[in-house]
Amino acid sequence: MSRYVAAIWKCRYFWLSLVRMDLRTRYRRSVLGLGWSLLNPILMTAVMCVVFPRFLPIASVGEYAPMVLVGLCFWNFITSSTKLGTQCLFQGERYIRQYPAPIAIYPLRIALGSSFHFSVALLVVVLLRLSVIGFSGMSSFVSLVPTFLLIFVLGWSLAVLAGFLTAYFPDMEHLTDVGLQILFYGTPIIYPTDAIQGKLGWLIRLNPLTTFIELLRAPLLRGEFPDASLYGAAAISAAAIAGMAVMTLTRFEKKIIFQL
Amino acid sequence: MTSIELENVSLVFRVRQQRRVALKDFIVNRMFSRSVNPYMHVRALSNINLTLREGDRLGIVGHNGAGKSTMLKMLAGIYPPTSGTRRVAGEVSSLFDLQLGFEPEASGWENIAYRGYLQGETPKSLKDKLEEIAAFSELGEFLHSPVRHYSSGMLVRLAFSVASAIDPEILLVDEVLSAADMAFLKKCRRRMEEMIDKARLIVMVNHDLDTIARFCNRVIWLDHGEIRRSGPTGEILAAYSEAMGDELPKAA
Repeated sequence: MSRYVAAIWKCRYFWLSLVRMDLRTRYRRSVLGLGWSLLNPILMTAVMCVVFPRFLPIASVGEYAPMVLVGLCFWNFITSSTKLGTQCLFQGERYIRQYPAPIAIYPLRIALGSSFHFSVALLVVVLLRLSVIGFSGMSSFVSLVPTFLLIFVLGWSLAVLAGFLTAYFPDMEHLTDVGLQILFYGTPIIYPTDAIQGKLGWLIRLNPLTTFIELLRAPLLRGEFPDASLYGAAAISAAAIAGMAVMTLTRFEKKIIFQL
Repeated sequence: MTSIELENVSLVFRVRQQRRVALKDFIVNRMFSRSVNPYMHVRALSNINLTLREGDRLGIVGHNGAGKSTMLKMLAGIYPPTSGTRRVAGEVSSLFDLQLGFEPEASGWENIAYRGYLQGETPKSLKDKLEEIAAFSELGEFLHSPVRHYSSGMLVRLAFSVASAIDPEILLVDEVLSAADMAFLKKCRRRMEEMIDKARLIVMVNHDLDTIARFCNRVIWLDHGEIRRSGPTGEILAAYSEAMGDELPKAA
């Protein structure tokens, strides 16, 4: 394991430059560059703000907008890690066929790119929050650092699993789309966690993604440090999925070349 | 000390009849415990025993599909042996599939950096080599445009320039230069000779027996994934060309 990590570290210049290239091409492709990718969640939030407060027991748009924006930014991170993750091994094929570099760097490339995005988006959320809600409880923003690390682990693991599954099963790409679609409504992204009660609400609270969203919302919306139990739950989820990713890597790392 | 040891190494490709199975089909078929997509086993290498020590220069000959390139990729650590053990001591550099391994959207300069980093360069060590790599490739202004506009000959130029800028410990060379033009080919040969002088252990695949005779002190003859003969260069090449001469109609 430590040798594997050392091998990843050894080719750090390689994957870091690929991440840099990915970001550049992604932003170069659109006229607005970085702005476009931020505009997407902002526009979505604007639409939600027009429609949803009519159905949901929400006090004001000023309260609803930052909440949705946090949710959407997190959701964009999850979808981009997973969707780009499905392609990561095909993308890396040209290198995999030539150099025996650790396979983990290809999902890492995806996770780092998505994280960069996510952190910029979070910056926008912070700005919106400061202008709408004000400067109270800003010290709790420190809690975003461990949260971000946990989310990064989550993104990398998702990319690993999506990448390997797609290499073995061609319909995986389509199935992830369907799965993500369902998950979107099963996660409190466009509604607050406590908006849904009863059995369904209980299910939604069981959804591991809910804990991550709560970890983000506590400091950003309410200026509170998240509960330690919330961190515990998120750490367990992150560890569980990372464990699955590591197991997949150990089992299939060497064999993947035959699937590409 | 560099060395390569192969002990009873076999490599079996499990080729599926269809390329990949959909997850839906996989689950449904598992439920009825059927197999819709059976494997076909292709033995690419079988029972290879080989010991190479520092200073050895091994040539591999054999007809198409004999397993030469597979052997190189297995030595490089890209294909894992299905059975047997592979022990390699030393840093391996390889020259094969040169046209692969480019980011089409990135420029020539950027691709030099990516490949360099993958070969273990750091920004600092690469900086000193950058000018030389660019000069060797003779691509000039083209290095600023995206690699997707390059012809295959240009790709070979770029790839070879980067790949040969390293000082290899163990060097694995496949026939890589088929797309290069004559002038560049000559230059590459010279460069390759320099690399071969510097490398401490070499394995090369080549159809040109003169090249093998010039560089190698040992040769193995692969036939359907097995070592048919192995020994000093002169002896094996003589036997190989004799056998080839019998099988092929004599050229005038």
